[in-house]
Amino acid sequence: MSTAHPPLAVTGIGLVTPAGHGAGPTWRGVLGAVGTAAPDPALTGLPVVLSCRVPEDSATQAGERRSWQLDRATRFALAAAREAVADAGLDPARWDGARVAVVLGSAAGGVGSYEHAAERLRTLGPAAVSPAALPAFLPNMAAGRIAIEFGTTGPVMHTATACASGATAIHTAALLLRTGACDVALAGGTDAMITPVCVSGFARMKALSRNTDPTRASRPFDADRDGFVIGEGAGFLVLERLADAASRRAAPRALLVGAGTAADAFHPVAPHPDARGLEQAVRLALAEAGAGLGDVDHINAHGTSTPLNDSAEARLIHRLFARRPPSVTSAKGVLGHTMGAAGAIEAALTVLTVQHRLVPGTAGFALPDWDTGGIDLVLDGPRRQRLRLALSTSAGFGGHNTALAFAPAGPSPD
Amino acid sequence: MNPVREHLVTLLTEKFEAPPGSIHDDAALGDLDLDSLARVELVFSLQDHWGVPLDDDRDSTGDVTVGRLVDRIETLLAQSAQEPDRSE
Repeated sequence: MSTAHPPLAVTGIGLVTPAGHGAGPTWRGVLGAVGTAAPDPALTGLPVVLSCRVPEDSATQAGERRSWQLDRATRFALAAAREAVADAGLDPARWDGARVAVVLGSAAGGVGSYEHAAERLRTLGPAAVSPAALPAFLPNMAAGRIAIEFGTTGPVMHTATACASGATAIHTAALLLRTGACDVALAGGTDAMITPVCVSGFARMKALSRNTDPTRASRPFDADRDGFVIGEGAGFLVLERLADAASRRAAPRALLVGAGTAADAFHPVAPHPDARGLEQAVRLALAEAGAGLGDVDHINAHGTSTPLNDSAEARLIHRLFARRPPSVTSAKGVLGHTMGAAGAIEAALTVLTVQHRLVPGTAGFALPDWDTGGIDLVLDGPRRQRLRLALSTSAGFGGHNTALAFAPAGPSPD
Repeated sequence: MNPVREHLVTLLTEKFEAPPGSIHDDAALGDLDLDSLARVELVFSLQDHWGVPLDDDRDSTGDVTVGRLVDRIETLLAQSAQEPDRSE
């Protein structure tokens, strides 16, 4: 397949998710297709009882330098970025930091730290607000912390497109690499939004599942889906131009062959019923890849388990790809909805799917409805599949849509 | 060791990562690798724990010593113990 833009190498990935600390545990968890939703004592008194939490781990929680200054979302991001850099075989002590970019997306930055400070202000007064409140909650601080840790003085920024933030970060990083603004880009997403205000707000707008059965609450594309289960975590990709990766003999896990972004310009929180922004994002990503609709073998869908998203997304996939339906999965059945991290986590999972030619099943799903019955959803256990091109799709409040296209790094299987 | 000093040493080593061997009464906060933000956070944490009105500015300068902070907290605790509770 000819490419309209030169592909970029994905040389490293890093993950912190409800399925575990690291890409390995997360990949095994997603392949196992067992949901991570569990009753959450921190939600006592709130309208829902389930969440998908990152398991406590001393390596990412207690061992962090200056942890009192770091929001939970920043800790996740630091851990995922470290893993991705190590996975890429890069040594921050030896790289030219001015040529390294950090692009990190999150929907809500350090919202937990903000809520904590606001609660103390209200109950105890201004003297009870920590001087670390701002460095903890400003949304760009996770990107800034990563820059400090790795000595990256190139472009360092935050992207905010709600639940598409992590995918937008990867798209933005690709643009920076293609313009020559950097040689290496650390691109990812993070969020830690299992907080009283976020959970209450999502529940009030009826976005969260009221199902109390942990194995059935998050069920992307299922007929009885009634909302998402809130999750948390972080994901990172290391991106480089192919020639740069080759010159340091780094073997790419996969190639980022295209990326597209488009807005619905329709409704503050509801997806466009025909998913027109998502369709445009998919078409842009494929054009960048020099590929057509018929080249798409697999879609790692946004698939939130909300009635509206999954209907609109399934109808779009059915309409666009009716002639040659790609396999479809949603990781949110296992991981819940990790908010702004989701786009980056699912991009990393799509990289692993392409690399290992293995499509994970969709946990929680039992029966399709009229809309979701039209797609080739992978159900029970992983499916071995020849993959030439796979898409990862993301959408967020505000009508933001991003599609990322990945292809195998090795010789094409056909 | 008295409880105020014990709590301060624990805070300095566990939260602020000061090297345990360098913490003694004459050690200044600035010498314990606490920057200005960390010093204000330290005062904030001590106020929170002991419920005493330390001074964000005077008690958080780089030359404030461990011994002086212990004295300040003990003095304030003694004062509040003598004063009638005005919160009722």
